[in-house]
Amino acid sequence: MDYLVAVLLPQLLHGLVFGAALGLLALGLTVIFGLLGVMNFAHGELYMLGAYAGIAVVGVTHSFWTALIVAPLAVGAIGAVTEVVTLRPLYRREPLYGLILTFGLALVFREAVRQIWGGDMRRIQPPVTGSTPLLGMVYPNYRLFLLAASSILLLAIWLFFTKTRAGILVRAAVQDAEMLDGLGVNVPRVFTLTFAGSAALAALAGLLLAPIFTVYPQMGVEMILLAFIVVILGGMGSMGGSVVAALVIGLAQSLLTLWMNPQRVAIAIFALMIVVLIVRPRGFFGREGVLE
Amino acid sequence: MKRLTWGFTVLVALAALVWAGAPAVSQPKVVKIGDLGSKVGVFEGYGKYQTWGVQMAVEELNAKGGVLGHKIEVVSEDDETKPAPAVRKAEKLILQDDVKLLVGAVSSGATLAVMDVTKKHKTIHWNSVSCAEFMRTTKFHKYYFSNQPDSRMQANGLAKYIVDKMGKKVYIFYTDYAMGQSDGRQFKTALEKLGGEVVGVAGAPLDTKDFSPWFGAINQSNPDVLFVAFAGTDSLRLMTQLHSFGMTKKYKMAGIDCFLLQQDLASIAEPMEGFVQLNHFSPYNPDPNMQAYNARFKKKFGTDANIAAGSYDAVLFWAAAVEKAKSFDPDKVAEAHEGMCVDNTHIGRQCIRKEDHQVVMDMHLYQVKGGKNLPIARIAGSDSIGEAMVGKDPVEGFTWEIKKK
Repeated sequence: MDYLVAVLLPQLLHGLVFGAALGLLALGLTVIFGLLGVMNFAHGELYMLGAYAGIAVVGVTHSFWTALIVAPLAVGAIGAVTEVVTLRPLYRREPLYGLILTFGLALVFREAVRQIWGGDMRRIQPPVTGSTPLLGMVYPNYRLFLLAASSILLLAIWLFFTKTRAGILVRAAVQDAEMLDGLGVNVPRVFTLTFAGSAALAALAGLLLAPIFTVYPQMGVEMILLAFIVVILGGMGSMGGSVVAALVIGLAQSLLTLWMNPQRVAIAIFALMIVVLIVRPRGFFGREGVLE
Repeated sequence: MKRLTWGFTVLVALAALVWAGAPAVSQPKVVKIGDLGSKVGVFEGYGKYQTWGVQMAVEELNAKGGVLGHKIEVVSEDDETKPAPAVRKAEKLILQDDVKLLVGAVSSGATLAVMDVTKKHKTIHWNSVSCAEFMRTTKFHKYYFSNQPDSRMQANGLAKYIVDKMGKKVYIFYTDYAMGQSDGRQFKTALEKLGGEVVGVAGAPLDTKDFSPWFGAINQSNPDVLFVAFAGTDSLRLMTQLHSFGMTKKYKMAGIDCFLLQQDLASIAEPMEGFVQLNHFSPYNPDPNMQAYNARFKKKFGTDANIAAGSYDAVLFWAAAVEKAKSFDPDKVAEAHEGMCVDNTHIGRQCIRKEDHQVVMDMHLYQVKGGKNLPIARIAGSDSIGEAMVGKDPVEGFTWEIKKK
């Protein structure tokens, strides 16, 4: 019982907290892939931009909560402009063009941030401090808040895609954009808004994780690798798959650290991705044919 | 006509005299020394204070006429806490600035790399911050000196206190590069020799942002004491995170020298409460020499001294050796250092051991109470320094394997 509470429970919570936040990032990535057919290499930089936009807003307003609203909107707007100006002209070309373009965008965003804010690590103070005693162990309040916030967001996104007309339109566009176009829907606008929404979601994840991971220009690169693994495991383009895979990765990572050094766990997770790519390229929940 | 020639000759002679004599009269001779350390990144605080220590010593020496009739000038360089830039900057200091002494670096990885440069160019090299164990053993060279207690000295000093007073079951958590690995090896060896049980070891990379993935394994091992070998902003983050998970209260905490600067202690006083640390300086130590040094430091920089005491002493040792050798010739200065004692260091009289050029420094054990490092024991340098092991691996046959009891 002691072992369960003192050792396993905190690890399970770590896994859920990290998995849920990772889910937010991966969800945007998988939606963009499903809809636009683009593997967005700049997604990690949108996550990073969220954290820096948060620093800027906190600097002016001294309020993390205001930043939590303003920063994702600002990054969403950057996402919309990026989609219209750079990605849209490439939709009819080979997917490789989009890949190279987003790779370039990632470099542009990262270096721009370095120019503006410098390369030093920055901290954002968590808006919620202190710890809560939980079944005999102690857990930081901010991480509990993070778990709650991510869960609510994931639920809201699920409701959006299943219950609202806009959400159903996006899903329809993922299935068959040409047919939707034929039915009179403004598909380019759906594309732009979806890209902006995914960017805002990435920014939100960046800002929510900033008080734990700190803020630096490279932060997106480290996260995007994990997000790619999540998307591949969950099945490229599968939203539910991404959320499940994110939680599985989060939990696996935190539980495996009980028996091996976290650096080796990272290797194990990459190895798992390679195996899945070879044996079952569509991932756990992916549609047949996306990568086969 | 004859008078004119005579007058002209005198004029030329006078002009020549003025031209040749002017620099000698108005500009004293200058000798440069190099200060190499982290000015940005995880150890930037240490680099800043190393520079301040050097500056203070130079100012005091210059006020007394410099060294060997030369005014001392300091050239400071940033090594970005990485070995490659450290080597580049060391080459620049030696070849371009012609420094006669190089103080640095801060990170052990950088210092080990710089040792090759100072060996190649025969430059006197003082290390006053880095504590990896190989500098006075396998990497040792004639021109290298150190007054920083290395991992072995620290382990000898602290392990006994941990086993006697804090608990026998110890978990070692270290920063995974030269310094932390060295500390981990030495502490594991020393603890096991004294009958302590190392229940777990883990390394986290330098500049780790989130340490919580490592906490499960620590809790699983259920130690009495959590021994942490980190420094700089890593220490700040680690302690804050351990505290938020209730682990600073659950385990007794102990750590290496340099774990935290006194200046940072105030901001995390609560997580650090009760922390036992070996250190070679604290402004709360009543030692009269330390108090006198701290008063001068505080007057100059407006803050308490810390690891700056090390680089301050290093410059004093070098200046004394130059005076003794009556030359800046590196071979003569290096020989003059050996076995030399200096009376006016921050802790009074200290001597350099001839065999491995390590200063036999007395250290203190401190415990944090209310954000202050209060001394709890003094450990004689002669008890902790261990035998000279030049050219040998100090922990030959070491293994990280945990011996199950």
